[in-house]
Amino acid sequence: MKRIIASFVAAAALTLCGPAANASGQKVAAAGAGVGSPVSLTLPLKDGSVRFMVVGDTGTGGRAQNQLAGVMTRYRQAFPFEFALLLGDNLYGGEKAADYKTKFEDVYRPLLDQKMKFYASLGNHDESNQRFYEHFNMNGEEYYQFRKGGVSFYALNSNYMDKRQLKWFEGKLEGDTADWKVVFFHHPPYSSGGKHGSEVSLREVVEPLFLRYGVGVVFAGHEHFYERIKPQKGIYYFISGAGGKLREGDVKRGSPLTEKAFDRDLSFILIEVVKDEMHFQVISRTGQTVDSGVLVNRRKNASTDSE
Amino acid sequence: MRKTSGLFAAIACCLTLTPTPTVTFAQTRGTRVALSAADKETAAFEKRVKEYVGLREGLEDEMPKLPKDATPEQIEAHKAAFQERVRAARSGAKQGDVFTPEAARLVRAVIKDEFKGRERQELRKEVLVEAENKAVPVRVNYPYPETQELLEMPPTLLLRLPQLPKQVKYRFVRGNLLLVDRENGLIIDYMTDALP
Repeated sequence: MKRIIASFVAAAALTLCGPAANASGQKVAAAGAGVGSPVSLTLPLKDGSVRFMVVGDTGTGGRAQNQLAGVMTRYRQAFPFEFALLLGDNLYGGEKAADYKTKFEDVYRPLLDQKMKFYASLGNHDESNQRFYEHFNMNGEEYYQFRKGGVSFYALNSNYMDKRQLKWFEGKLEGDTADWKVVFFHHPPYSSGGKHGSEVSLREVVEPLFLRYGVGVVFAGHEHFYERIKPQKGIYYFISGAGGKLREGDVKRGSPLTEKAFDRDLSFILIEVVKDEMHFQVISRTGQTVDSGVLVNRRKNASTDSE
Repeated sequence: MRKTSGLFAAIACCLTLTPTPTVTFAQTRGTRVALSAADKETAAFEKRVKEYVGLREGLEDEMPKLPKDATPEQIEAHKAAFQERVRAARSGAKQGDVFTPEAARLVRAVIKDEFKGRERQELRKEVLVEAENKAVPVRVNYPYPETQELLEMPPTLLLRLPQLPKQVKYRFVRGNLLLVDRENGLIIDYMTDALP
C-alpha cells in the first residue's frame, strides 16, 4: 500500500512546498491532496508502529478549524494514523447538541466516517459532561488511561487536579510496564506563552510523578500556538493548542524553554512510535511542516543528552 | 495464720509502693485524639456537602442513566432534567447553607495561607485576574453558565481545602469561591471575599 501511494505521489505535480523525503528517503507529495499544499511526510511509516495525531483547542466551528481538519484528512491518506488525542477546549461557547455538531462532528466528519477515534481531555472551556460523549471515548471519566501497542496514554483533567485524581494517577503509573508513558491534558506545565505561561502550581504536583514513574512525553494545549519545549529533567513537553484558535505572536521570543515554536497559523502534530523512537511532524493549516524530528525513549535508554 | 497475714501485708505494701500508672484516654485507646475546632468545622462542612450529594444522587437515580457513549442530545436533555429536579428540591436553598460563617472563615484562612509569600505572588495574580474576568452571576441554585470558561483550580490549593466528593467542585468567580455540581452545573453555595 505504501508503494502504491509513493509511486502515485511521485508522479503527481509538485506545488508550493516542493518534495520532502521521509525517513526512508522516499519523496512523497500530493497524494490526492485536492485543494491546498501537497502532503509532505517525514514520518517513517513502519509496519506495526503506533500512529496518532495530537491537537488542542479546536472547538470553534470556524473556517480555520475546518481548513485544518481538511489538511488532517489529506495527511491521513498518506499516514493512516489510528487515533487522535484532543488536548481540551473541545467546544467553545456552549455545550448544546448543536455545538457538538458544528464545532466537532461536522468538522471531523471525514475522519469519524473512517472510524478514526478521538480520545479527549477536558479544557477550561469544557464541561465535565463531555466525558459521556460518544466520540470523545472518555468512558464516562474525567481522567482515564488506555494502551496502544507499547505506549500507555494517560488523559488527565488539569482543570481540577485534586487528591483523588493524583491518587488514581499514581496508582496506575505504579503498575505500568509500557515502554512509553504519554500524558496529555490541557494546561501546560512549561510554556513560553505571553498570555498564560507555565502552570507552576500544576507542575508542582504532577512533575514529581512524571519523574518517579518514567513518563516520557507530555502534550498540553491551552496556549494557542505550537511549542516544543527543551527536555525538562529528561521529559519531552509539547504544546499543541492551535487546532482552532491562534494567538499570533504570543510565544516569548528568546525564551529559554523553547526548542521550536510556531505561532503564525493553526497546526497539529502527527506521531509515529517505532520501538524506542517517537517520530513527530507538525503541520500547519497551509500544509507546511513547521517542525519534525525524533525523540528517543530516555527512560529506557538512559540518554546522555544535555538539556 | 501468721504466714497468711504476712503475705497479705507484703501484697498491701507492694500495692502501696508501686506507683499507679497515669492512664489518659488517648493512651488507652490510641486512636481517638481530641479534635481541634478547625477539624470539627471541616468535618461539619464535609458532612453538609455529602448531604447535598446524597440528595442529588437520589434524584439522579430516578432518571434514566446517561450512557458512557451518549449523543449530544442525550447529554443536553439529561443535564436540563437533572438541573430542574435539583432546583425544585432545593428551592429554599440560600447562601451560607453549606459555607456557614465558620466554614467560610476556615477556608479563607487556608486560601490566604496558600497564596502568601513571594513564590505565590504569580499564582495569586493569575487567579485574581482570571477570576475577575468571569461574567458569572453568582446565585445559589442557579446554573454556572456553560458559555463561561472555568478557572483552573490551583492544585496546591486543592490539596489543602476540605476534600469534596467527586460530584462537587470548587470554582473561583471574582472574589467568591463557589461549590458547583459537576453534572447539573448548579451553584450549590458560595462564599464571598475568598481571595486575599
